[in-house]
Amino acid sequence: MINQAMLSMLWDATLDTLIMVGSGTILATVVGLPAGILLTTTAPNHILEQPLLHRALGGIVNIGRSIPFIILMVAIIPFTRKLVGTSIGTAAAIVPLTVAAIPFVARLVDGALKEVDAGVIEAAESMGASPPQIIYKVMIPEALPALVLAVTLTAVNLIGYSAMAGSIGGGGLGDLAIRYGYQRFRGDIMLITVIILVILVQGIQMLGDKIAHKLYHHN
Amino acid sequence: MIRFNNVTKTFSGKTTVHALRGIDLAIPAGEIFGVIGQSGAGKSTLLRCINMLERPDSGEIFVDGIRMSDLDGKELRAARKKTGMIFQHFNLLNSRTVFQNIAFPLELAGYSKKNILERVASLANLVGLTDKLKSYPRQLSGGQKQRVGIARALATQPKLLLCDEATSALDPETTTSVLNLLKTINERLKLTIVLITHEMAVIQQICDSVAVLDDGVVQEAGPVIDVFTRPKSEASQRMLRGFLTSGLTPDQLQRSGNTLLKLTFVDEKAHQPIISQMIRRHQIDANILFGSIDQMKTKPFGMLLVELAGKNEQIAQAIEFLQENQVEVEVLNR
Ligand SMILES: Nc1ncnc2c1ncn2[C@@H]1O[C@H](COP(=O)(O)OP(=O)(O)OP(=O)(O)O)[C@@H](O)[C@H]1O
Ligand SMILES: [Mg+2]
Repeated sequence: MINQAMLSMLWDATLDTLIMVGSGTILATVVGLPAGILLTTTAPNHILEQPLLHRALGGIVNIGRSIPFIILMVAIIPFTRKLVGTSIGTAAAIVPLTVAAIPFVARLVDGALKEVDAGVIEAAESMGASPPQIIYKVMIPEALPALVLAVTLTAVNLIGYSAMAGSIGGGGLGDLAIRYGYQRFRGDIMLITVIILVILVQGIQMLGDKIAHKLYHHN
Repeated sequence: MIRFNNVTKTFSGKTTVHALRGIDLAIPAGEIFGVIGQSGAGKSTLLRCINMLERPDSGEIFVDGIRMSDLDGKELRAARKKTGMIFQHFNLLNSRTVFQNIAFPLELAGYSKKNILERVASLANLVGLTDKLKSYPRQLSGGQKQRVGIARALATQPKLLLCDEATSALDPETTTSVLNLLKTINERLKLTIVLITHEMAVIQQICDSVAVLDDGVVQEAGPVIDVFTRPKSEASQRMLRGFLTSGLTPDQLQRSGNTLLKLTFVDEKAHQPIISQMIRRHQIDANILFGSIDQMKTKPFGMLLVELAGKNEQIAQAIEFLQENQVEVEVLNR
């Protein structure tokens, strides 16, 4: 049955998952947001038009997004080891999670920023706004609800990925589900981890929706 | 105030478009100067060349003695701060309140918080929006949005205001009130206004001078009264014809010897060649006096004033044919 030890294990695993997903989301946003901004603004006829850079960046993002997570995770083990000293455990799992999420964030940010009305950007240009001012004072604020939803989607995706990372010793709920639920035939633990994962996804999505809604002033 | 010397602009994409083919134009300081032309004539391109949102391929544009095409980067941004611009679709920042929208150019220009507060208050007063400062654009009507646009454009006290179809998205009444506001501003602030439009009525209501643009060329320019009463170019005559006919009174229409019909087309009917079918089937002559196609939401909505000549019997059949095709027919005389 579920005893005290089990409960504390579930609790620790949940915390590990939250740490992995939280750090992965934050780090991926830190890199992916500027990358996405660069992707949008270097496009033809945009404020920092740079066709070559734009195409190169787009190519990298597409390649990054097309590598299955499992393969990416294994492929960058040497890099992970160099960075955190080990390739197993929660800290080590954050590396592939972040790397996988960066192109994802960049593409979502690009999509969100492209939705900003070109007329509004032009209006800012007509008032003498510089490209950085257009990015910080126009594009990001106008796209903020969509950007919040992009980060939310990234976090939700990372919950799924983190369960996969768990299966090769990354820690967290996925790890617990595999070790107890699958290898030791503990159906109850499997069920509880799944329920916790569902609650996490729901909770993050609801929070994201709520913030985005608050920020939304468009029609 | 503004001088165009042989300005050309060509867009080369899938097809090459000569948007401006050698524009020569002088716009005097302090005037409300209208540029009229049909869709695609190059009006927006001409206007956008003034503040270099579009760079001309050749020729030169002087604003207040400064050759705009020489400017780049920082200098250009400084010059743009001295020119206000308003737009057909207002282009307000949806994430900002009315106050914050009007404050935007002031922030860009580095005004202090206190100065921004004062300046926005006086601008809101000028455009009559003092009670809306905390609203977001989505809570405003089209006319109110354009007033915010005007306040924002005037914030940094420019000497020149560029208006790109500023009233085309507004109903006639709101159009008049916005035009009156522009007129007041022109008189009170001694502001030069360049206004582009495809509506003769707008020119008629507030412009001092007008240039008729057709196919990338200025066909004629001069005081509104001269161009309206003695149009020299074929393009102005063509545009004025539609304007005058649409403004004819029922009395004037009654005098016509032929049957006059007002036809209203809605939805995909506006795209079908119903008139030519009618002419072929019923052997009558039809002369289109005036026509307009508007977009209501996403549906095209067309109005035609047509003069029919032929035997009474055939005219009756033709009217029946139109009605069968879901065209609304209104017989204006007889
Ligand atoms: N960025 C662009 N790229 C390619 N073609 C363009 C571009 N901008 C304008 N054009 C073309 O140049 C011509 C003139 O356009 P412009 O927008 O100046 O016309 P307009 O008189 O303002 O028309 P409208 O009344 O419809 O706004 C059109 O044929 C248009 O398709
Ligand atoms: Mg235009």
